[in-house]
Amino acid sequence: MTGAKMRDRHAPDPLSAHPVKLRLDGVGKRFDTGAAATVAVSDFTLDVRQGEFLVIVGPSGCGKTTVLNVLAGLEQPTTGSVTIDGRSIRGPGPDRGVMFQDYALFPWHTVWGNVEFGLRHGPAGEGLDATARQKRVRSYVDLVGLGGAETKYPHQLSGGMRQRVALARLMANEPEVLLMDEPLAALDAQTRLILQDELLRIWGQDRPATERRTVVFITHAIDEAVFLADRVAVMTTHPGRLKAVIDVELPRPRGDATRALPQFPSLCQHIWSLIRDEAYRATVT
Amino acid sequence: MSATAIRDLRVPGDRTPGHAWPWRGLLLPLALVVLWQVWGMVSGNVRTPLPTRVLAAAGALIASGDLFSGITQSLGRVFAGFAVASLIAIPLGLAMGASRAVERNVDPLVESFRPIAAIAILPLAILWLGTGTAAAVMIVAYAAFFPIVINTIAGAKRVDPTLLRAAATMGLGKLKTLRTVVVPAALPAIGVGLRIGMGVAWTAIVAAELAVGAKAGGGATGGIGQMMFVYYAYSIELNRIVVCMIAVGLVALALDRLIRLGMRLLMPWLPR
Amino acid sequence: MTAKAGARLPTPLVYLRTMAVFIVVWALVARWTGNVALLPSPLAVIDALVDLVRDMELFVHAGISFGRMLISVTLASALAIPLGLLMGLSRTLDAVVDPTIEVLRPISGIAWIPLALFIFGIGNALPVFIMTYTAFFPIVLGTVAGVRSVDRRLIDAARTMGVSYRTIITRVVVPAALPSLLVALRLGLASSWTAVVAAELIGAPSGLGYAVEWYRELLMTPQVMSFIAVIGLLGYVSDRAVRALATRFTPWAVETRADA
Repeated sequence: MTGAKMRDRHAPDPLSAHPVKLRLDGVGKRFDTGAAATVAVSDFTLDVRQGEFLVIVGPSGCGKTTVLNVLAGLEQPTTGSVTIDGRSIRGPGPDRGVMFQDYALFPWHTVWGNVEFGLRHGPAGEGLDATARQKRVRSYVDLVGLGGAETKYPHQLSGGMRQRVALARLMANEPEVLLMDEPLAALDAQTRLILQDELLRIWGQDRPATERRTVVFITHAIDEAVFLADRVAVMTTHPGRLKAVIDVELPRPRGDATRALPQFPSLCQHIWSLIRDEAYRATVT
Repeated sequence: MSATAIRDLRVPGDRTPGHAWPWRGLLLPLALVVLWQVWGMVSGNVRTPLPTRVLAAAGALIASGDLFSGITQSLGRVFAGFAVASLIAIPLGLAMGASRAVERNVDPLVESFRPIAAIAILPLAILWLGTGTAAAVMIVAYAAFFPIVINTIAGAKRVDPTLLRAAATMGLGKLKTLRTVVVPAALPAIGVGLRIGMGVAWTAIVAAELAVGAKAGGGATGGIGQMMFVYYAYSIELNRIVVCMIAVGLVALALDRLIRLGMRLLMPWLPR
Repeated sequence: MTAKAGARLPTPLVYLRTMAVFIVVWALVARWTGNVALLPSPLAVIDALVDLVRDMELFVHAGISFGRMLISVTLASALAIPLGLLMGLSRTLDAVVDPTIEVLRPISGIAWIPLALFIFGIGNALPVFIMTYTAFFPIVLGTVAGVRSVDRRLIDAARTMGVSYRTIITRVVVPAALPSLLVALRLGLASSWTAVVAAELIGAPSGLGYAVEWYRELLMTPQVMSFIAVIGLLGYVSDRAVRALATRFTPWAVETRADA
């Protein structure tokens, strides 16, 4: 499948040496909608390691968003268990921050107001006095590259800028885990490429692996998955199931040159071959 | 249809301006006014209201201060009633929009009374509160209540669920979410309710004052509606009636603009 | 705001429970004030209602008012819908006519009553005139908005198929605008029903508005309340009827199902 394995130059120890952060064990989710019941996810078992960038791909309707929602605590699994650091996940909370597909920015707050929101009103901001809060908001606004645009309202921002705000808001709460549901889906292809780079930078791909947060990221786009991920979890549909987990042994930090490596297209092709049939079926049923 | 007419037919949404005379909007009103004047002068009845006479009457009414005092009387009642309605309707609407339980229990009452127009309640109001300002305010409050509460409920219900989920993932509790997310998100809809409510309130006060004037015979109520009735029933000053009608229209417009301005100030984040 | 599958009590029962609470509270307050002219007990009102039904008085007045409303809304629609369609389609016509409409609209139908009283006197014509005027504006403006809101791409699709303008108007614009048109009709109906009461209260010798006022002068409050209830009921029923029409003729439109 892949060519020679190359080691991440910043990680003296492979990911398997990191502790398990999230554990999904036999997770199943069933929706009872009126007459019929749909099984969105079935028997999903996966460990996510601390500091890992895990991407879930699959055809439409394969339940990847459901898996994310279960991790976020927005849905309860009907079977199986899901834990963070060994603790059961019972509901949403700032330890598992979520970035939504349509950004979910509060239209009545400026960039600053949005980034500050979780610190101002939520438990993530407890113990922070106003000055400390300002400092943190400032640092994350700058980190995502929006310094100077703090007083703008969402409707005045481009898609790429909105995505940055959503990211800053997410990170300002300093969650242990970042859950991202197709955050780049609404952007045009060029902006997407830029923001993939930015995402990795902000996540800390230039820093040692121990300083990175755990990310679970969902996407349709296979090339995006391969570019971003340490591992790619491939799901199939009807019912949603984990088909395979692929290690992406591309060196970090990643950039445009990474896409030119021969392993890149071969990894993409391999993943595509796993889901192609299902994707086809989705267009005719 | 002739060829020219079809060419002139713009498909909806067409941006091309066509031959734009900026003043063609005035054509019809001017033509009507002229027609009115001519017809009136030809029919020769002294009582007939004519544009010229209406203007004169307007001058007289403004100069004597009657028009101003009539309008302020009515406006005072409208604002009072509107305030009462808002103070009840907005919190109630938010509660009903946010909590299915509250909604199911209160909604039957709201929906049962909603089809009963404020004016129908007027005789009851007079029975209970006499023909004065109290009854008028009650009618106005009743009238404005429904559009405000209904639009507030809709606004609270239609908050983008993703925003609610975002707040949940940031660890906010229900009450906090209500205050920091539901209320701001529902503001545009509340604004719509307030605009409609204000329009309804103004119509209600005119109707109430007219009706009271008709039955209580020019009592102590005052207000522009009453003025109109007096000019009909007692002094038969049709020109003055028309002046009052125009005033009613102008005040309605002004109130609408006022609310829109208020809403724009309250919601600086909305795109123009 | 969790949507638990299956609420605790079905909605019709909750409805009955709320109304029952309301009636009990009403009865208690009525007993406490003890003045039948001021606040009759629910039973007194039901009594009066039964009497009114028995001697048909209720139906006579209700029929008259409802009849006036039907005539008015029909008249208003006959004028407003064609005008609205043309205004929505022709920028020129819209630019010429709209300012006049916008100037007249804030002058509510109610404000016309004194002048109309002078022209028509007390009788049938007055309420019908006022109600037609009142219904006209929401219907015409709603029709214009409906025409304008037709998705441009639907029209483009038809044009790329080489369809003539006339066919576009009849086969694309009108059906697409129909849901908004029906909403406009509902609004027109509701406004004119409000106006009927005001117009009859002031200037008609018959009808529900007249009856309410008549009994008020006699201090027969139970009857007053009975008629008020009927006014509400008929308003509700006619709204439902138009909504049913909308669902029947425009099943594809979600907006006709929304509560206005």
